[in-house]
Amino acid sequence: MSGEPPFPGFVPTHLIDPFEIYVGPVFEAGTSGAKTYAMRIEARHVNRRGVLHGGMFMTLADLTLGQAVWDATDKAAVVTLNMQCHFVKSAVEGDIIEVVPEFVRRTRALVFMRGDFTVKGEIVFTAQSVWKLLGQS
Amino acid sequence: MQRGRSHIALQRETPYQGTASYYAYLMTERPQGLPEEAREIPSVGFNDYVGPYYRLPDAEDGRLRRFAFVIAEKHMNAGGSVHGGMLMAFVDMAMGQTSRAETGAKGGSTVSLNSDFVGPGRLHDVVEARVRVTRRARTMIFLSAELFAGDRLLLVATGLWKVLGAP
Repeated sequence: MSGEPPFPGFVPTHLIDPFEIYVGPVFEAGTSGAKTYAMRIEARHVNRRGVLHGGMFMTLADLTLGQAVWDATDKAAVVTLNMQCHFVKSAVEGDIIEVVPEFVRRTRALVFMRGDFTVKGEIVFTAQSVWKLLGQS
Repeated sequence: MQRGRSHIALQRETPYQGTASYYAYLMTERPQGLPEEAREIPSVGFNDYVGPYYRLPDAEDGRLRRFAFVIAEKHMNAGGSVHGGMLMAFVDMAMGQTSRAETGAKGGSTVSLNSDFVGPGRLHDVVEARVRVTRRARTMIFLSAELFAGDRLLLVATGLWKVLGAP
């Protein structure tokens, strides 16, 4: 496990879900609502061909977009209803993936999110997800 | 704090709760509740790290391919359900295996995947993937999948795969 931040000024994201702790760490920089998240790809994240596993891409998307929803809702109870992912380019061990989650729209009960995931400034993966604020109709 | 060899031995036996090695430590033997006919899929890398995954016999004259995993502590979220990322990782593996088996190709890569999270999965649930081929072209394959825990539907997915090294 590499506990070292991928870039200067990044700090570990505080994770509470066992699955996220298990596949992490993830790092962040910036202020609430406009944070950049970053993760270094390790051997345990790749598949037989040595490229980042699709499942890890999607887990990183759920984790980072979810963290951004949490920041925006004062840590409301939320669940993912739907996630759409495009695997644009492969990423390999040692690459550092970055994302700045974007808010598309927030209603009383839903939050629409999207994110472009980049390696050295080039898009490798995109995701959009719909989140439900529990207890809101 | 106690120091020396005995302290290190204690750490090896029971990794610190909440760490990655603790969740790995909890996964030891074949999980309970798996069907007799489930066969472990040999895995490396990420599949090995988040698995084990199992193959179940095909159904519907081979048109329905089936896979399974058992929800463990390491797969959970803080709300007491299986993490959505784990369900997407599992369905990605199941659809990828199906596209390889269908085409006889060396490999394939996910181009797009759409997931609807229909219901929560709980600790120790046996999650079964049921995967169907929607359409197979020369280098592309469209798939759909459902994840069930018993008769409870957890996730519905559709996806597009690129076939690599088609025979």
